[in-house]
Amino acid sequence: MEVLKEKVEEEEEAERAERAEKMMRPLEVQKEDTTRTQEMLRDLERKLSEIEVSIPEKPSTFTKDAIDTSKLPLSYQSNTPKEEHLLQVADNFSRQYSHLCPDRVPLFLYPVNECKVPKFVSTTIRPTLMPYPELYNWDTCAQFVSDFLSAVPLPDPLKPPSYLYSPTVVLKYQEGNCFDFSTLLCSMLLGAGYDAYCVYGYGSQDLCHMDLTREVCPLTVKPKEMVKEEEKAPPKKYAVKPPRDLTSRFEWEQEIKRQEAVKAEEERRLKQGERLAEQESAKTDPLHGLRVHSWVLVLSGKREVPESFFIDPFTARSYSTQDDHFLGIESLWNHKNYWINMQDCWNCCKDLVFDLGDPVRWEYLLLETDKPLLSLTEEEDDGTNDDDDAENLGKEDEDKSFDMPCSWVEQIEISPEAFETRCPNGKKVMQYKRARLEKWAPHLDNSGLVRRLTTYEDLECTKTLEIKEWFQNREDMLELKHINKVTGLNIDYFKPGHPQALRAHSYTSMQPEMDRVMEFYETARVDGLIKREETPRTMTEHYQGRPDLLSYRHVNFGPRIKKLALNSAESNPRPVVKITERFFRNPVKPADEDVAERVFLILDERIQLRYHCREDHLTASKCEFLWRTEGDSKGNKIIMTPDMCLSFEVEPMEHTKKLLYQYEAMMKLKNEEKLARHQAWESELEVLEILKLREEQEEAHVLTISIYDTKRNEKSKEYREAMERVMHEEHLWQAEAQLDYLAPFLAQLPPGEKLTRWQAVRLKDECLSDFKQRLIDKANLIQARFEKETQELQQQQQWYQENQVTLTPEDEDLYLSYCSQAMFRIRVLEQRLNRHKELAPLKYRALEEKLYKDPRLVELLQVFV
Amino acid sequence: MNRLCDVEPRVMDDEMLKLAVGEQGLRDEAGQLAKQEGILFKDVLSLQLDFQNILRIDSLWQFENLRKLQLDNNIIEKIEGLENLTHLVWLDLSFNNIEAIEGLDTLVNLEDLSLFNNRISKINSLDALVKLQVLSLGNNQIDNMMNIIYLRRFKDLRTLSLSGNPVAEAEDYRTLICAYLPDLVYLDFQRIDDHMKELAEMKHRCSVDELKHQESLTRAQLQDEQARWEGLEGHKAAFVEHLNGPFLFDSMYAEDVEGSQLSHLPGVGELVQTYKDKFVIICLNIFEFGLKQQEKRKAELDTFMGCVQEAVQEKQEQGKHKMAKFEEKHLLSLSSLRDESELTNFEIKMAEHSEDITELVNVLMTLEMQLVEQLEETINMFERNIIDLVGLFVESVQSLMAQCRDLENHHHEKLLEIAISTREKILKCELEEDLPDAVRLLFVDKDTIVNAVGASHDIHLLKIDNREDELVTRVNSWCAHLVDKIRKDEIMRNRRRVKEINQYVDHVKSELDSLEYSDLLD
Repeated sequence: MEVLKEKVEEEEEAERAERAEKMMRPLEVQKEDTTRTQEMLRDLERKLSEIEVSIPEKPSTFTKDAIDTSKLPLSYQSNTPKEEHLLQVADNFSRQYSHLCPDRVPLFLYPVNECKVPKFVSTTIRPTLMPYPELYNWDTCAQFVSDFLSAVPLPDPLKPPSYLYSPTVVLKYQEGNCFDFSTLLCSMLLGAGYDAYCVYGYGSQDLCHMDLTREVCPLTVKPKEMVKEEEKAPPKKYAVKPPRDLTSRFEWEQEIKRQEAVKAEEERRLKQGERLAEQESAKTDPLHGLRVHSWVLVLSGKREVPESFFIDPFTARSYSTQDDHFLGIESLWNHKNYWINMQDCWNCCKDLVFDLGDPVRWEYLLLETDKPLLSLTEEEDDGTNDDDDAENLGKEDEDKSFDMPCSWVEQIEISPEAFETRCPNGKKVMQYKRARLEKWAPHLDNSGLVRRLTTYEDLECTKTLEIKEWFQNREDMLELKHINKVTGLNIDYFKPGHPQALRAHSYTSMQPEMDRVMEFYETARVDGLIKREETPRTMTEHYQGRPDLLSYRHVNFGPRIKKLALNSAESNPRPVVKITERFFRNPVKPADEDVAERVFLILDERIQLRYHCREDHLTASKCEFLWRTEGDSKGNKIIMTPDMCLSFEVEPMEHTKKLLYQYEAMMKLKNEEKLARHQAWESELEVLEILKLREEQEEAHVLTISIYDTKRNEKSKEYREAMERVMHEEHLWQAEAQLDYLAPFLAQLPPGEKLTRWQAVRLKDECLSDFKQRLIDKANLIQARFEKETQELQQQQQWYQENQVTLTPEDEDLYLSYCSQAMFRIRVLEQRLNRHKELAPLKYRALEEKLYKDPRLVELLQVFV
Repeated sequence: MNRLCDVEPRVMDDEMLKLAVGEQGLRDEAGQLAKQEGILFKDVLSLQLDFQNILRIDSLWQFENLRKLQLDNNIIEKIEGLENLTHLVWLDLSFNNIEAIEGLDTLVNLEDLSLFNNRISKINSLDALVKLQVLSLGNNQIDNMMNIIYLRRFKDLRTLSLSGNPVAEAEDYRTLICAYLPDLVYLDFQRIDDHMKELAEMKHRCSVDELKHQESLTRAQLQDEQARWEGLEGHKAAFVEHLNGPFLFDSMYAEDVEGSQLSHLPGVGELVQTYKDKFVIICLNIFEFGLKQQEKRKAELDTFMGCVQEAVQEKQEQGKHKMAKFEEKHLLSLSSLRDESELTNFEIKMAEHSEDITELVNVLMTLEMQLVEQLEETINMFERNIIDLVGLFVESVQSLMAQCRDLENHHHEKLLEIAISTREKILKCELEEDLPDAVRLLFVDKDTIVNAVGASHDIHLLKIDNREDELVTRVNSWCAHLVDKIRKDEIMRNRRRVKEINQYVDHVKSELDSLEYSDLLD
């Protein structure tokens, strides 16, 4: 052991050196750390504390360097005066506390945040209600936090951390220790209206290390079947007395006792064995009761919480306040106040009273106006402990007018993508007792897998018992795949919507004509099939809600007859030996004519009928037909003889004795037999088809995308983008249309005053004159251009006339082309000028009219109209 | 009608029917079988007897299950002899010489009736044909449009033909029919289109509305009557009918001549009035009490019936269970017996199986006997309780009736007093009011007036006694009947069950026996 220790020490030192050198790779180091066994780690840590070497690094992947503090808002980087004041108060409080309670550990009051600014813990909580309806309840909230963040152990398991990051940063890096977890969870729960508190206390080893290997996976626990207590109707007045029971009561009791004893013995033995195995694996923790942990306390009262409980933010499990995992509480806080536990935790948290209004049990930091809980005995307590309080911590006077400043943390935001991805990288693995649970974000796995639960037979998780896989968004509506490794039985469960309305399919192999059970959504099927069970030689079908009231069909097959020709299985169906069909009672028919069961014995050429039983009868009518195809002694074909139909009738009737009646019934039955055989054949075909389809689906596993999933659904995305474009254009157009012609003139007037009539008139006149000026300017502009063009043209013409003789043909062409272009331009300008002249008065009048109708001027100008 | 009547009418006899049945029967193998066995008239479903020159419908009483009967193109003059054919759905009597619709009152299932080309002049006597869908009355002599209204009662009537009748010549014949029979789909073999319907509705709205109003009034009246009748029936079941008002009191005075005469005396009017008020209050008490008691009795009876039902059901389930078990075993042993070739083994198995059968009988019979004992006890208990209830009821009613009698006595005394004082007044000639002569006659001497008052009193008492006696006897007889019926039902049930068990066992045994025989024969 010594050697080992030394070795470890050496290793540790070497490692530290390495770390100092390679601060670049903290991640790797941490990985190594965590892989070490618990004892070694503890040893190391003890040693470290002895050596008193300050540990510069935190075993965390996101160190301060990783966080870009410069981009954080100002509130993260500095303290407001109020916060400073609060820190002073807290400092004072903590000093007094340490003076009065020297034997207790220092408080966790104002750790530094990511910008190395000390912040009071209560202000780090930022109550936020998330926009996701799934996060409205505590259980889903806690599940989200535990999924979303990956847990990092505390740097020192015996001390609270010296830092506490804001929930926003924690969310961003998806990592944190238990304090980060509980701060985030508490923020969300407070936002959702719960009476939640962060707790700084001591937890068991399993709790602190998020070790679930000794916990039973919640998914494997079968929901307890609610034993319906049959309401015993009070014995009615005329209820008949039961016949006398002549068996010995004593003997019966003895028998029961004996059986119970045997059962109890067996149970005890089983339990003992289990306990032994568990004890072996769970070694006692030397640091039991010293490990620091942080979790969330939800007090009863708000949101209809009936009883206070703890939530472990790592695992999202809720525990009662009496649970063994929670070994003590130092203090707790929410966004409003900070309380110190003054109760003794010798018996874990079992005796704690969560009456925060009781100052003897809970010492508060700030005097709040609304204490969370005011117990009835508070007055007494106050009376007896008044002086105690005063001398304890004489802080009330200075604090009276002080309440908690607002949170310095920015609003907590979770993007929809992050919310959907949930776990870091969309994947998470959890190890439970004899079970392993893996989670994936939807759409991450291309087979649609979202959860896989593997159950093992032994604690070491080597022998797989069964695997359950949950799927989402599958096009074949597969929801859950259950594979039993021991029996080899596979069960697939489907959601409604499978092409063949499959509900569940259990099989051992995908080969046809083997043991399998298929269940269907009977309302989605035309034939009302609920269930089809198959064994190599039989097929049983159950129906519901058919117009012919068929409820059951059982087909027995014989061995396949070998044919000489090499046919495929489909063209060589197995011969049907026997078909049994059962029917529900048809209330329209009398019971004696309503067939309950008919059996076609095909090889024997026999048909057996059993009718429904009359309401007040014990016996039901029966009938058996058997026909002979051979002729009689004379070679004539026998049509019907009395011995071909044997029947028993509850109430003999005349017409059923007649041969004609029997003959007709038999003919009908023969037809029915043909139909039944056909049905059986069709069912076989359907099974083949389903199997084929299933195989194809398994290979392809296409995922569907909901039309509400705007990010993944290409079509809807396109549509939405198009809509947005249209909207944008429309908006632009509208902005243009709303161009205000009065704006420049109104701007000249003193703002915010009502227009006088004189001003309005002047406004109108100014506007009009301005417009007139513009029109004139425009006309002038066109005129000027026109003149310029004509001038140029004249110059060109002049130049041409002068140099006509000396011009080369190219120059001449150039000139001609210029001329025609210039003429065109001149003509256009001329036209525009004329048009302008025509339109200008109209436009002027239109504006005038518009001004008269302008809502801002209309009242003032009306007089002049 | 259009045929000459000089052809010789034929008689519908068995021979003719047999021939027709034989000709129209089944073909092929089934036909051979049928012939071999002979056809019974009551199994025949459809019969065709056209162009037979039948004058009188006869000999059809055996065709109980006939669904379709064709008697067209004969010379029938009267519809008769069809009373037994209650399952008839289709009846064709076209091309005959029928003059009046009659003899169809029992054919409640008739859906299609053809009386085409006859001499009918009035539509009536079809009330029983509630399911009528097709009615063909063309080429007849119906001349009154009001006959259409008669057809309104057939809610399922969809097809009607009336062409060739005098009514069909009227101008608004079609619209009128459409208006009065809005559910009709085909008229004279033509579909009525929507346009026609609209037109008809517009044209005849007034008269149709009036008709509807009248019909609704009659219906309401009928319903009222029904409700009243039902209420009365309910009261009768509680044995307190006519006690929820002054009926009894009024009946007391109805036959009482003296009483009405005496009411003219001064002061008697008020006396009678107060007497009546008090009397009515007591009557109402009796009435309410009676209803309550009736409910109690009913609840008692219901519980009893429910319990009996439950007990019977339970035993039946047990019996069925045993039966099913036996059935399985029986089938197995039968097949094994069939396969058995060795005689000794066969005998052993046979014996075993016979034992099984006996055991089954024993088990079933034990169950039945248990049930009988249990029910016997329960029925006795119920009888005691119901008799107690009835006794209580009778006692209370009697005490209330005694109150009535007291009232009557009291009234009688008062009346006597007034009568005597009046007589004294008359003797002294102090009477101010005028009295009718008949009343004055009563006062000729003291005996007369006392007798008159006494007679009135006697009549009143008699009435009260009668009512009381009636109530008591009726309630007692109801009680006796009820218990009697319950016992009888129980006995019947027991008999039926025993018979059923025996029948089944006989069947099983015969099966065994037949096996034995066949074995012996082999």
